[in-house]
Amino acid sequence: MRGLRFYFFRQALLNIKRNITVHVLSIGTIVASLLILGAFLLLFGNLNNWLRQWGSALSMSVYLKDGISAYKRDKIDSLLRGLPGTRTIRYISKDDAMNELKGALGDEAGFLKELRPNPLPASYEVIFEDRQAVTVDPEKISRQLESLDGVEEVQHSTQWLTRIEGFLDVVRLVGYIIGALLCLCVVFIVTNTIKLTIHLRRKEIEILKLVGATDWFVKLPFMLEGMIEGLAGGGAAILALFLTYLALSAKEIYLIGPAPLNFVFLPTAYVALILLLSTMLGVVGSLIAIGRFFDVS
Amino acid sequence: MIQLFDLSKRYGPHTALNHIHLKIGKGEFVFVTGPSGAGKTTLLRMIFGAEKPATGHILINAINLNRISRSNLDLLRRKIGFVFQDFKLLSNKTVFENVAIALEVTGLPSKSVKKKTHQTLRLVGLAEREKAYPLSLSGGEQQRVAIARAIVNDPLILLADEPTGNLDPDLTLDIMTLFRNIHQHGTTVVIATHSRQLLAGADCRIIVLHQGNISGDTW
Repeated sequence: MRGLRFYFFRQALLNIKRNITVHVLSIGTIVASLLILGAFLLLFGNLNNWLRQWGSALSMSVYLKDGISAYKRDKIDSLLRGLPGTRTIRYISKDDAMNELKGALGDEAGFLKELRPNPLPASYEVIFEDRQAVTVDPEKISRQLESLDGVEEVQHSTQWLTRIEGFLDVVRLVGYIIGALLCLCVVFIVTNTIKLTIHLRRKEIEILKLVGATDWFVKLPFMLEGMIEGLAGGGAAILALFLTYLALSAKEIYLIGPAPLNFVFLPTAYVALILLLSTMLGVVGSLIAIGRFFDVS
Repeated sequence: MIQLFDLSKRYGPHTALNHIHLKIGKGEFVFVTGPSGAGKTTLLRMIFGAEKPATGHILINAINLNRISRSNLDLLRRKIGFVFQDFKLLSNKTVFENVAIALEVTGLPSKSVKKKTHQTLRLVGLAEREKAYPLSLSGGEQQRVAIARAIVNDPLILLADEPTGNLDPDLTLDIMTLFRNIHQHGTTVVIATHSRQLLAGADCRIIVLHQGNISGDTW
């Protein structure tokens, strides 16, 4: 039986070698399909991570009216310091806000010189302890602060969180649809490749049947061929995705807040899932080809 | 060994076999002859299970081919060697691989496959050519590869369809000597031929087919 297993693998690899051009083209197309799927998972996973990180720390920006008196500012300051669960409370003057903006814009900050007077408001940046550790109602605090004289506007992170979560739901749905279409695409590619190899090897199939090969003896190498094709496509897609990730993670990406985003690769479970999925799609594709185009009578 | 009852086969308006009855015993050496289109190839293909009869039954070693499952037919074919008129060799495989294929399908360990294939190639005089590809061989050598593949797993029955059709008289004699040797090991041999040279002086059973009927059965 061990010899027979080797025989099947040897046959499958030989078949791939004999029709290498067809298989390379086919694997290339599978890689492209899975790369799109992988890139989507990578992006979606990171978006989710960023959102979780951002959402875990409740933050609040309290924008002050221009020309606010020192008395009114002290009153706001003391109210903020009296809030439960705050980690840091930082006052950002109009000049500080402008400097921070200049720092964030870097070389492109030249146009800011034209802005006179400084249009940016002074503000307080309040960061709370992790949301799990404190039970604060950001809406209630916002209303309370907005009622104070001298406060222009209050924004808190959960407002954005809700909007982004809604956006992510849409992205997830689109991802499912694209993923399903790409899977169908992979199955279609494998089916057609195996169909072609069945056609190219029809004489060999006939002879195998004439010397007493069982149906599965003849079919199994084709199934393995599809499996290897799917696995190779999945592996190459993961590799290409990893190289892209390395190139991207070398750059600092700023999207939310002053700190660069922590860009992570797909978790091992996802990598395994893509490999398993591509292998299974390869098997399904070859089974369809075997079922539809195999005449071993 | 081989029993045919009321066997008929038609291809459109042409009657290939017409209600024939035939018994071939174990260890017999039989020629099936007749003009082209007499039904020789059809008869052999039916014994091999490659064609289904319109009427009648085929029994091989008491197994009715009408009732045999597909997987059992595969197993039965391992016990029936078939030498095809057009050899049916794979041009992208070596002589060795072409012969070994008949053993590989049985799941025999590769060591045994190698040993048995070498033995058989020696028997048919092709030991020196095992790495050659069929297209580089002469017609006689290709025929011997086809015979080697048919006998490599010691079949109970050896069917040969016009095995010397494309060979010169000297090679015909060589191939017939090979069939005689195989027969002496106890294999039932059935050869379809219309070659008068082959039949002249044959000291064995000769079945004559004419328009799908048995018109003669002589010893």
